[in-house]
Amino acid sequence: MDINTTYWFYDRIKTDNLCLLYNGVISDEITNKLIELSDYNINNVEGLSKMKKKASFLMAECFQNIIRHGEMINDLEKNKNNSFFLTRNWDDIYCIASGNLVVKKNIRKIEDQLKVVNSLNKDELRDLYLHVLEHHEISGKGGAGLGLIEMARKSGQKLQYTFEDFDKYMSYFYNQILLQSEDSIKESHTTHAPISDAIIFHKKMKEENILVVQKGDFAQESILPVLKIVDNNLKSVFKSSSSKKKVFHIIVELLQNISKHGFKNQKMSEGIILLGKSESTYIINAGNFIENNKVEELKNHLQDLNKLSIENLKEFYFSKLKERYDPEKRGAGIGLIDIARRTSEPLVFNFEKIDNDKSFFTIHIVV
Amino acid sequence: MFERYFCEGSEDKPKIDFNPHKNIFEITGNSFPEESSKFFIPLIQWLEVYTLNPNEQTHLIFRLDYFNSLSGKFIYEILFTLQKVLQTGKKINISWYFNADDTFIEEKGEEFKSAIEIPFELVQIQ
Repeated sequence: MDINTTYWFYDRIKTDNLCLLYNGVISDEITNKLIELSDYNINNVEGLSKMKKKASFLMAECFQNIIRHGEMINDLEKNKNNSFFLTRNWDDIYCIASGNLVVKKNIRKIEDQLKVVNSLNKDELRDLYLHVLEHHEISGKGGAGLGLIEMARKSGQKLQYTFEDFDKYMSYFYNQILLQSEDSIKESHTTHAPISDAIIFHKKMKEENILVVQKGDFAQESILPVLKIVDNNLKSVFKSSSSKKKVFHIIVELLQNISKHGFKNQKMSEGIILLGKSESTYIINAGNFIENNKVEELKNHLQDLNKLSIENLKEFYFSKLKERYDPEKRGAGIGLIDIARRTSEPLVFNFEKIDNDKSFFTIHIVV
Repeated sequence: MFERYFCEGSEDKPKIDFNPHKNIFEITGNSFPEESSKFFIPLIQWLEVYTLNPNEQTHLIFRLDYFNSLSGKFIYEILFTLQKVLQTGKKINISWYFNADDTFIEEKGEEFKSAIEIPFELVQIQ
């Protein structure tokens, strides 16, 4: 992942109010945090909060599908091959998708179930649901069929799905549902975010070893669940708690910078953050709009930091630490100084002028 | 004697318990509040008054798990304010706890130790 990756994603989700992409192992703990984050996201969208319960339910079903199918694949494979999860919101549409490996010989069965579910209307779905409850049919593996029926019932829409070859024995199974307020169901929405988007995002994330992409408002309330997910992920990536904390720290500083200094659109500080890893390093990309009149100062500050040695950075840090607190200047750049002290490569950054008011600022940090 | 200063901790705010009656002065947990100044300035104002007539012996204990850079700046402000105790002739010392494998908190402790004049010990938790 390099600095351009930020814009690659941003460009594809720029009309989304919120977007969360996750490529990793799905555990119960992660599941809870992802639902918590989505709950917060939904609450912030007018007209969607009514759907919160439905959305949480549908997400939980997605995760259960992932975990259930995952159990059929041995642990070694499971660890190598990450599952995928996505939630997106634009207008009053909420989109939920997931992707996970399934054994090829099961594809027929899953597809048959999906075809049945998609062919039925509301009442027929209810009847099928009751039938399956009683007779434990249509699925061999503990009620996987029930999950799909419930997803179709709760969303009131056809389930979108597709299979992507993985190797000789396994395929990725992707499914996607769109939730929207009942009065505004329009066919055209499926073209805004086709299920192929999910596949493209997951592929890019696997290729570039990206764990999380989150675009949205970075108010404190919404960064807390993001941080929990990161913290959980870091625990599985790092053996030492020191490097884990170092990465966590940089993410906190970046998110809070976006929240404080980002260009405010209806009081929201919109930004995007990407977390990736390579063999021995962790990579953090962030991007957000800033006012054009703040560009020069930030650019100079970053350029200065890149010129300083570790010793000079330390001195600079102490001088800022000891400065009396000035509400006008707040931290006076101490956050970025602290980041620069902890990176293994110079900070890479870019400013792209968007219009007369704002520029898009991206930063790429290797820890 | 002077009122206790207490703040229940949360996910992003530390627990602060400054109780002159019981001679307890402790800061515990995580610190990366959304509005650091709103959170810390009342405490610093409280300390300004406390240092006018401090206890015979003030022992400040830090048990922090994580704090952001702006909280770090306010921790320095706390320590800087407490240096005034030294001028009153009363005693003050600081214990900074860190986990054995946590160089983040350990290094931060060393930095504060080098930046102020109050006796400051780093205590490793096994």
